[in-house]
Amino acid sequence: MQLSSNVYEVTDIGAVQELYHSNGWTDGLPVVPPTREAVEACLEWAMLSPDQLIGIEPVRAMPVTAEKLAINAVMAGCLPMHFPVVVTAMTAMLDEKFLLHGATASTGGCAVFIVINGPIRLEIGASGGFNALGNSDRATAVIGRAIRLALINILDVRPGEIDRSTIGHPGKFTYCVGEDEEDTTWLPLAEMRGMPPGASSVTVMAAGAPRQIMNEWTTDPREILETFAAEMRANLRHYSLHAGNYAIIIPKQLREHIQAAGWSKADIAAFIHERARIPRREWADVGKGAVVRDRGDSIYPALESPEHLLVVAAGGPAGGFGAVIPPWLGHKSQAVTVAIGACVDCEPPKG
Amino acid sequence: MRFAVLDPTNERSAPLGQLAPRPGSLRGKTVGFISNGKEGTKGFFAHLDRMLREEFGVAQVVSRTKSNYSAPADGWIVGEIANWDMVVTGIGD
Repeated sequence: MQLSSNVYEVTDIGAVQELYHSNGWTDGLPVVPPTREAVEACLEWAMLSPDQLIGIEPVRAMPVTAEKLAINAVMAGCLPMHFPVVVTAMTAMLDEKFLLHGATASTGGCAVFIVINGPIRLEIGASGGFNALGNSDRATAVIGRAIRLALINILDVRPGEIDRSTIGHPGKFTYCVGEDEEDTTWLPLAEMRGMPPGASSVTVMAAGAPRQIMNEWTTDPREILETFAAEMRANLRHYSLHAGNYAIIIPKQLREHIQAAGWSKADIAAFIHERARIPRREWADVGKGAVVRDRGDSIYPALESPEHLLVVAAGGPAGGFGAVIPPWLGHKSQAVTVAIGACVDCEPPKG
Repeated sequence: MRFAVLDPTNERSAPLGQLAPRPGSLRGKTVGFISNGKEGTKGFFAHLDRMLREEFGVAQVVSRTKSNYSAPADGWIVGEIANWDMVVTGIGD
């Protein structure tokens, strides 16, 4: 296998860390040394040649090759079996609808929220259980981190360079979850978004920090979901009035009440779509009266349509804690779902 | 233990467009402004407009605003650039 990256000879593991930190090649945490052997193992696992083009970031015309992505995946701690998920996440992010440059350069400081669906979750141990949005497992930790390191190193998304985030959020270290498909009757997110049943898929969304909610005092789906909708209304007030993709994380304890009442993900989305909206005049209540002007009675929904809500089953088995994950900024960036192993620009097979 | 490790960066710069020839003087020229539409651009471009006309003799200032401040300028705006002698843009945050 012919790799083309520059090679640096260093004396020990400490020198590796200093080399990478001093060049601005890390997220501030130690990295796994990206040796030729480790990088080649990732490429072989994913059956990709080093020069395979994963895609081109269109605004700055910057290519992302399999070799460079694998180097960053190894640095993040990925094993070869994690690499196809990293490749698919990057493929999805390079879809024009994602607006990768805008999302990663913005002062808004969003991160790339990644949801893994399908059998690959079980193969790599991507958990949607305890601590789902935190340090739940090795796979989601390193996959999310690989995407951040790839942005930093391949596309120059370093703080103060391309990344102009004012404050950012902790999801910029890693922000990845495997949906808990086994412990719900609902369809997986990827299937709701058009992927074939049983396919392993990755969904990416340019996302703000999770906003945690709690409601352990009802079994009524409407009341449970009203709490989620209220948090979305709060985001409309405190952050942005623009409608876009929102994700909601519903844990097992709350899922069981909602499922027992016969509600599907589509029912949830229809309810939230109706409830998560505010009149513009509410901006005056939170110190933003200067921009209400004569549009106080205009209604601003969080979702343009119910399909824009990403409903994800995840979280530990006990506790009425859920989360709303808001969009970076309205629908400027759209969530994208791609099946693992799918070639988006291959010629269809002949005959 | 010695390590041979690989460079994680793109090892290439973003391709840059070709710079147009520099105008010798601003007098009588047409200047285009491309604003990203953020609040801060209004005062900045209004001041620059006045300065270019009053102090540098610019004949005309054409102001255009992008429909999405996070994305490249709309095609119809880019299409107009050929009619201008120079263009000024800024993030205005």
